Amino acid sequence: MKQILYERLIQYILENQDRFYRVAYSYTKHQEDALDAVQSAVCKALEAHKNIKNEDAIKTWFYRILINECLTGLKKRNKVILTADVVEQKAVYYEEGYEQGGDIEQELEKLEMDVQGIIKLRFFEEMSLKEISSITGFNLNTVKTKLYRGLKLLKENIQEADLWVD
Amino acid sequence: MGRLEKMKERYDEIVIPEELNIRVQQEIMKSQRQQAEKNSIRQRYRLKKVIHGMEAAAAVCILFIVALNTNSVFAKEVAQLPIIGGLAQILTFRSYETEKDDIAVSVEIPTIEMITEDTGITVEKINQEILEQCNQYAKEAVMRAEEYRTAFLETGGTLEEWKKHNIKITVNYEIKQQNNEYLSFVVRGTENWTNAYNKSKYYNLDLSTGKFVTLKDMLDGDYIELVNKNIREQIAERQSAGEIFFTAEEGGFTGISEDVKFYINKNNHPVIVFEKYEIAPGASGEIEFEIGGN
Repeated sequence: MKQILYERLIQYILENQDRFYRVAYSYTKHQEDALDAVQSAVCKALEAHKNIKNEDAIKTWFYRILINECLTGLKKRNKVILTADVVEQKAVYYEEGYEQGGDIEQELEKLEMDVQGIIKLRFFEEMSLKEISSITGFNLNTVKTKLYRGLKLLKENIQEADLWVD
Repeated sequence: MGRLEKMKERYDEIVIPEELNIRVQQEIMKSQRQQAEKNSIRQRYRLKKVIHGMEAAAAVCILFIVALNTNSVFAKEVAQLPIIGGLAQILTFRSYETEKDDIAVSVEIPTIEMITEDTGITVEKINQEILEQCNQYAKEAVMRAEEYRTAFLETGGTLEEWKKHNIKITVNYEIKQQNNEYLSFVVRGTENWTNAYNKSKYYNLDLSTGKFVTLKDMLDGDYIELVNKNIREQIAERQSAGEIFFTAEEGGFTGISEDVKFYINKNNHPVIVFEKYEIAPGASGEIEFEIGGN
């Protein structure tokens, strides 16, 4: 049984590696860092494959590891930047007064990390709220609230957003 | 179109670097090696237990053998003991089957695994090469089949007719010899609708050196002359038995080159291989000549 799950995991990784890279890249914005994140996620997932409960859980289980790796990578990188005495740090808070129709990617980056993550998983990876809930560990209602809040901050057309939320 | 959708579009356009696949495969290979190691340690441990048990049983037996004179039974049991541990073995690294647009793909990629660890032989590079070549072949074969499909449909063929083609792409391997001296195996790629791209690559590994074996290593003296003479004799013999070979004018056998394809068979003899159409009509398929066997 464990052996079958192990094989399935390998198959899943091979089939979806491009998606993993995109997710990682959307976090790290850097090719080398994204590759590192995917590689160590694959390594950790394979080492811990015995923890997968069943085949259906592979996807959310792997994404959880992957996003963890991305965040860890970001933290490390930020530390490096700090010690290198670079003052140029990205504002991590939401700023008022941006223009509607501006660069939405930049706006997205100004949101809290977990809100960003939820929006990415929902719109880019087209995951269900339930899946996002099991990846992030937030309960379903929290995911919904955070998603709505994020979208509001992005001043997205709420009608469009509604289509996506359900 | 909403801004989110535009953003999603840009997201989907993020370029995937080629290195990604290599690094992912590396991790998988590493993990599979560790898995295989764990399994073989477990197996060896189990085998050891069995042997210990047998030794104890043997000690008991010896006490009675003289009196009962039934040692032939015991001898038989000893003969059935499996040989413990070779130096290396061939395993399936990865196998998968896919089907898209009625193009079936079946891939079985071999990998060499060293069982004995302190031989100093590294097989990673060979394994990596095999893996890359298999993937490359499968990828190209699918592209060729897709091109064929497009052309077929564009020239008025229907999807049902296409389906009837039963296109199948196969990458697999066959072990020829696996003992403590040699590892010999062939990796093949075939497309069932055309022979033009069929590929076979032979790997012959000398386990005492970790290097690829050449014909020169296996045969003494002027090995090319020796092999040529031997093959000519075998062709003559097979011709008189009714087999058809091309004449030299038709492009038949004129002598081997240094890089002629061969594998090592169960007798530890080199076997020279000629591809379909190479020296005989296609109906004969691949043609083989064992050198040194009678």
